[in-house]
Amino acid sequence: MHELPFDSVLIANRGEIAVRIIKTLRKLGLRSAIVYHDIDAGTPAVSMADAAIAIDGRTPNAAYLDIPQIIAAARKANAGALHPGYGFLSENAEFAKAVTSAGITFIGPAPESIELMGDKIRARNFVQRHGFPVAPCAIEEDDPTTFVRRARAMGPPLLVKPSAAGGGKGMQIVRDIGLLEDAIARARSEAQRYFGDGRLYVERYIETPRHIEVQVLGDALGTVAHLFERECSIQRRFQKLIEEAPAPGLSSELRQRICDSAVGIARAANYRNAGTVEFLLSGGEFHFLEMNTRLQVEHPVTEMITGVDLVAEQIHIAAGRPLRLTQSDIVPSGHAIEARLCAEAPERGYAPTTGKVLVLDYPSGDGIRIDSGLSRDQKITTAFDPLLAKIIAHSPSRVETAQKAHRALRDLVLLGCTTNASFLARILADDGFLHGHIHTGYLEEHPHIAAGDPRADLSGFLAAGALLTGPVRESADAVSDLHAALGSWRN
Amino acid sequence: MQQLSSLVDVRSEDYRLNELHNRRLAKELEERQQAARFARPVRDLDRLKRQNKLFVRDRIEALLDPDTPFLELSTLAANKAYDGEVPGAAQVVGIGIVAGREVVIHADDASVKGGAWYPLSVKKIVRALDIAIENCLPVVHLCDCAGGFLPLQAEFFADRYHAGRILRNQSILSKMGVPQVGIAMGHCSAGGAYVPALSDYNIIVEGTGAIFLGGPPVVKAATGAEISAEELGGAHMHTSVSGTSDYLASSELHAIAIARDIVARFSDAVKAPINRAAPEPPAYNASELYGILPRDPRTQFDMREIIARLVDGSRFHEHKARYGETLVCGFARLHGYQIGILANNGVLLSESALKGAHFVQLCDKSRTPLLFLQNTTGFMVGRDYERRGITKDGAKLIMAVSGASVPKFTIVCNASHGAGTYAMAGRAFDPRFVFTWPQSQISAMGAEQAAGVLTHVKARQLARHNGHLSTVELAAIRQPILEEYRERSGAYYATSELWDDGILDPVDTRNALAIVLSASLNSPIASPHYGVFRM
Amino acid sequence: MNHSFEVDGVEYQLWLSRCREGYRLCLHDRVIAPIAFSHRRDGCGVVMIAGESQPVRFAIDGETIHVHMNGETRSLHYCDPLRTLARSRQEISQTVARAPMPGVVIVARVSPGEAVSAGTALMTIESMKLETVIRSPQDGIVERIHFKEGESFEQDAVLVTLLEERT
Repeated sequence: MHELPFDSVLIANRGEIAVRIIKTLRKLGLRSAIVYHDIDAGTPAVSMADAAIAIDGRTPNAAYLDIPQIIAAARKANAGALHPGYGFLSENAEFAKAVTSAGITFIGPAPESIELMGDKIRARNFVQRHGFPVAPCAIEEDDPTTFVRRARAMGPPLLVKPSAAGGGKGMQIVRDIGLLEDAIARARSEAQRYFGDGRLYVERYIETPRHIEVQVLGDALGTVAHLFERECSIQRRFQKLIEEAPAPGLSSELRQRICDSAVGIARAANYRNAGTVEFLLSGGEFHFLEMNTRLQVEHPVTEMITGVDLVAEQIHIAAGRPLRLTQSDIVPSGHAIEARLCAEAPERGYAPTTGKVLVLDYPSGDGIRIDSGLSRDQKITTAFDPLLAKIIAHSPSRVETAQKAHRALRDLVLLGCTTNASFLARILADDGFLHGHIHTGYLEEHPHIAAGDPRADLSGFLAAGALLTGPVRESADAVSDLHAALGSWRN
Repeated sequence: MQQLSSLVDVRSEDYRLNELHNRRLAKELEERQQAARFARPVRDLDRLKRQNKLFVRDRIEALLDPDTPFLELSTLAANKAYDGEVPGAAQVVGIGIVAGREVVIHADDASVKGGAWYPLSVKKIVRALDIAIENCLPVVHLCDCAGGFLPLQAEFFADRYHAGRILRNQSILSKMGVPQVGIAMGHCSAGGAYVPALSDYNIIVEGTGAIFLGGPPVVKAATGAEISAEELGGAHMHTSVSGTSDYLASSELHAIAIARDIVARFSDAVKAPINRAAPEPPAYNASELYGILPRDPRTQFDMREIIARLVDGSRFHEHKARYGETLVCGFARLHGYQIGILANNGVLLSESALKGAHFVQLCDKSRTPLLFLQNTTGFMVGRDYERRGITKDGAKLIMAVSGASVPKFTIVCNASHGAGTYAMAGRAFDPRFVFTWPQSQISAMGAEQAAGVLTHVKARQLARHNGHLSTVELAAIRQPILEEYRERSGAYYATSELWDDGILDPVDTRNALAIVLSASLNSPIASPHYGVFRM
Repeated sequence: MNHSFEVDGVEYQLWLSRCREGYRLCLHDRVIAPIAFSHRRDGCGVVMIAGESQPVRFAIDGETIHVHMNGETRSLHYCDPLRTLARSRQEISQTVARAPMPGVVIVARVSPGEAVSAGTALMTIESMKLETVIRSPQDGIVERIHFKEGESFEQDAVLVTLLEERT
């Protein structure tokens, strides 16, 4: 690689994505710096970075959202560039502007692109204007007085979404039109609290669509290439759990149309850097959902099938270089599946779990990639998103990949905090999933997958628990041979 | 050690008939015990539920280590008394395992007459504490007794072995360093108040437990003051004001958990060292005892057949097999413990008595506990026997049995009469435990013989007034005498009066013996030491 | 008295006894024997259950033991009878509203000293990106609010303590 205009990159993020970015920085011979809240001290990302700068805030989350502190940290670390990762400030146009004005290269799209795509209503209108398919919807700000009436007119089911939506927060499904106003009120309260922006719109809700998204890369010269699609239909509450590439059972004609649309939208937006255009696919028809102007959590599946290091490409583009890849260079191979290991209990309604990592042992092997920011003794709190690590498998066929990922999840040992590993393994072994009969409502339609088997035989665990618990063993050992031999004899 | 070879023909008609008979007896025992344990008027059980109290059996099960044995003692105490209305004498007593330790459990049964103490209740509790003293066994008292049954106070209050003995025994246990834990689970009043108070540790259950000398009605009668049980002697008062109780428990189960925690802290028992090997089951099946014990108690049977179904590997090292053959003596193992067995094979003769006295001393010297298997009508009578000194020889056996320091255990297998009862370690000779088999008879002389004597006496009195009695008249006098005599020498009467520690189904004998053997070793065995043997 | 473990909110009673080949596990509906455990190295071992060997990974954290075996992980909480049995009574005399899941306090809807009735909203919490209202389990007076706005708490944490209203 040619000499880059910067030699040090500040990572304004934490956890697995920070580790993943550091790995590429090391490969590129760049110095890494990271900001961290005290709660993350000692985590792998902080230990691995060449420099680590503490930041604080009212809550840990607030620290990672504190633009002035992060800019100051970047200056302090002498960072020539900044990678925002995903979440936090990654899609905050103000942040991108502030970084740029500080003379630091923002590894991501231009603030205008973030702004355009960050406002879901504007993005939708933009896409529609350029002739790409969108879902019917009622937008509040078009005419607030008629908003509810217009929404109601579309008929159920409906989806109430904040204009500043992200990560599924504040979305409400309305199946009974009578509950529409309640849902609007609830969505507004959450949107106001999460995004400081209570603007809403209502879309026709498609019950069982597939979530297909396309990874794109665009450069400053207006060249855009796609790295094929990802299927992210296995979700719970609009949050992706299992992602794969390529999407199963897609005809090459449909795949082409979807990828072309993504490239078209990115090109129309003059999009620079890595981005993802998301579509909903239903009955052979697809429409634009939103565009994410950052690196996605699920980017590794694309990397696995294309062999492209997306973070390296992001840095390359941010450095002002033209795309190194032409569309024809990008040839997918095999199938990749990612499973998101989260600190939550699907068996208990996905309740978040907390704890401390006492034992951590990831599986390894050919075609297995683990993106993790966890280490032993680390505390798992509810301060952040419950994502702990990603287990990614790659092999020639989908079924083989699912089996490989399944085995990896069963072999993974994380003790000290309940995770969704068994649940993910159950999905990967599910017949419907293996046959590719998936859609975004799949888990709701098959609640037994999340519930697990409540009557599962725990005797093995109880045996191990009994043998390993001091008081239990002591009380057994306290009984003499004779009395133990007589058992519960009564006269 | 040589294995006994059984001569029993399990396919014979005799065996089959015996088995039918004895299985019926075992079934009857089981049913009577079941009833004594569980059959209660619904209103009494409802009352417990209302009072938020557990049934005494559930309390005990919660106290015990699960998957360990519980040997209940004198289950059928008082079964022939008080019109059968006080099952178990309103007490549950047994040896069980709590936090690995062997303990005596004594529990008032509040589902029977509110747990009131009857004369036989007192006898049963005193016996439980005697067991604790003799065997150095810690005691857990589950107290739920509102006091003695006043109408019968003359039979349980003032005498040496009456209720005061309970408190005396508790004090002696404490002095010996054998700890007791009391749990006040209900009202403990009058004498009952002292049971938790004299326990080294006591726990009181919030809401239901109370301790006072006089309950609210007594206080009202004496002073006119109206006061609640809680205020008078409740858990909060006794744990924070009077100091009568040590631990406040939020529920019975909590109290039991505390008691278990206390017992777990007791230092490990130091067992008396006796010869022990790895246990092994008998080579013959215990259930064959049913076919061996004759349905007619007067039929003689070989005690070696019983021994073969009690001891490890059915092995028996017989002592002096060719001498004094009516008393079988020898060594065996029971659950690995070496024991010396003395078993009657008929009437006791001088030679049998001498052999027995010799064998008892052998066992005592070698620290070998003694097991007496009783089936004897007593010592032989008659001129020749007296001239050969049968009384003098019997005295030697009694002297040896009385003086032996090793633990003694007695099973009344069939007949136990006359001085045979004594020489074979009857109740009076302080064997650590006495158990009875369902068909046994225990009395000064056999029923037929005694009825004959009594009929003869009565007939003579009547004849003085009315002249000669006809055979029919004689039979009419004899029959009720015989029946009453039989009734009062039967196992159920013996156990009702606490002459034993309970009736055992013969097949349970081996395990029961193992439990009491192990329990007996908690107290040290004194050196052999005897009185004067008349030579 | 059996030992008790809580796994995923369900209580399991069991008792362990010794037997010639190791131990015997008595569960409420069956007995499994023999069972044995051999340590391999820190946190690793092999459990033998009725003749079958199963490698296990485990971590002991106070009264919680985390076990991974046969591809599954469970956390077993040993319920010390002295504590669990003592606690049940306190909860009767004093009513508490507990957190159904870990989360963060958004707003306390009542103040100490305030009389509330069953069903009154006591607090709004956020968990799993959703707002949940914590309601009063019964009539009473708010004694204490245990967490401030913005503070996070664990599952089962006592959020609000109520005193029973006296008439």
